[in-house]
Amino acid sequence: MVDLQVEIVPGLVLKNPVMTASGTFGYGREYTPYLDIAKLGAIITKGLSLKPKTGNPGTRITETACGMLNAIGLENIGIERFLSDELPQLKQLGADVIVNIFGNNQDDYAAIAARLDQVAGIKALEINISCPNVKAGGIQFGTDPQAAANLVAAVRRVTTLPLITKLSPNVSDITKVAEAVADAGSDVLSLINTLVGLAVDIDSRRPLLGNITGGLSGPAIKPVALRLVHQVVKAVDIPVIGIGGIASARDALEFLLVGARAVEIGTANFINPQIGLEIVTGISDYLEQHEYEKVTDFIGSLQV
Amino acid sequence: MYLFTGKIVSNRQLTRDIRYLRITAPAEFCRQAAPGRFVMLGCDDGLFDPLLKRPFGIMNRGDDWFEVLIKEVGRGTLQLGELAEGSCVSGHGPLGNGYPEVDSELRSKDSSPLILVAGGMGIASIASCLLFNNRRPLNPDCKTILLYGAARLDELLLLDEIEKNSADLRIETITDDGSSGRRGWVTELLENELRQHPASLTFACGPEPMLKNVQQVLCKFKTRGYLSLENRMACGFGVCLGCVQKMAATGDNGAGESAKVCTQGPVFPADKVVF
Repeated sequence: MVDLQVEIVPGLVLKNPVMTASGTFGYGREYTPYLDIAKLGAIITKGLSLKPKTGNPGTRITETACGMLNAIGLENIGIERFLSDELPQLKQLGADVIVNIFGNNQDDYAAIAARLDQVAGIKALEINISCPNVKAGGIQFGTDPQAAANLVAAVRRVTTLPLITKLSPNVSDITKVAEAVADAGSDVLSLINTLVGLAVDIDSRRPLLGNITGGLSGPAIKPVALRLVHQVVKAVDIPVIGIGGIASARDALEFLLVGARAVEIGTANFINPQIGLEIVTGISDYLEQHEYEKVTDFIGSLQV
Repeated sequence: MYLFTGKIVSNRQLTRDIRYLRITAPAEFCRQAAPGRFVMLGCDDGLFDPLLKRPFGIMNRGDDWFEVLIKEVGRGTLQLGELAEGSCVSGHGPLGNGYPEVDSELRSKDSSPLILVAGGMGIASIASCLLFNNRRPLNPDCKTILLYGAARLDELLLLDEIEKNSADLRIETITDDGSSGRRGWVTELLENELRQHPASLTFACGPEPMLKNVQQVLCKFKTRGYLSLENRMACGFGVCLGCVQKMAATGDNGAGESAKVCTQGPVFPADKVVF
């Protein structure tokens, strides 16, 4: 039996390195007909804001080669309804829950973080500074190292929970933002969020998405994500979680190989709601076949 | 709902770009496939291109098979429509709520008919109300009328099959180009029926402009109906939030609400939908 447990930081130990990416796993409950969500390393909730948010009008998703563009616009039920209607069931089901948070401004982020600091049953916070589909909040913090650092510092002051900062790939040098948020007190980095893309229809001569641009995800972005994870792992001393186009155990192992301590599965959940646990099993099988005793021996073992 | 691999039993080409596929499925899937529910289908080749499954109304079902209509509108539907007999398809469903039961509570007390309105490919969802019942009337106390509109005569699909397998059904057709004898929109037929039977119950499925018109007609006659919507969706089970539809506000703040077409629909009370 391969030991799949990973310690991301002392306050955040996962039973295995497979989590589900924010925005692709609802609030967890939606997946209970398909798999035992308690067996995942952790589930990361849909991004939550202080107040409920309705998201973007018009067409929100469109498929592209080996991927999809989305412009949902962070629709969510708001933090209070999550705490009253969703979290109790997640706890009862035994799921390890990481809450993804976002706001319109620094005060919003800090207010949500402060609210969640006193709540039992939350393992960590993932700060979304990288959503490309909203005008205020999100990516405006993720593309400016100083703004990102200020935001993380403000959240850090009001919570003792482990902090994961989710980074945007839509920057010229991701290591600048990575270093800035690490210095500001982020315990962990997760990357990448979606890549900004555009799809148009030549017949109607209009964009396919209501928001015009959207975030590209799915297998199409995996090589970009893998390169950025590799780059950030070398640049910072804090742990990195790999995200981007993972759709199989081999994909997940590639991210672990380049040094990610864990991974998040995103778009693949839409296609196969059981993929998370299939990947856990696949990782275990692979490591056993190759005579690893524990997954941590494989992590970061890339030879260049 | 179930995740399964089905086999193509038959693939009939109905028009240049519309196919009629029969696919095997687990018995439990078939039992749960109530009229108006849908299935997500994708090619089972592991190549991720096309990436996402596509939603299709379950038109008919037997003990271990179901049928869908597939119109080629892009690469996903092209690939699925070209699947040969014996090839595999990956399925997920049945999903969504389906049409309400036509029971005495829903139906008005008099002998007003149930009116089914189908536009174009909307026939797949609407026909499930008839075909699933296997030649039994939907409700013994009321007549059923199918109003079916399409662009051209050859796109009025499977009329013989529907007629043969339905009990006590009157069918009226209309096309955009008049090639079926009557030219115009299916909502004109609906107006005619409602003028005679204003207390009817209506189920409708078709393109959004048609559903908008159906909603207006129902509103004009102050009569009840249900609309089956369609939207782009990545997952089909309520997590991607790609398919939300604006709904009339029910809360105190007056703000419009939204609903997921996949899990809260695809069938909604006509007066709730905000187009």
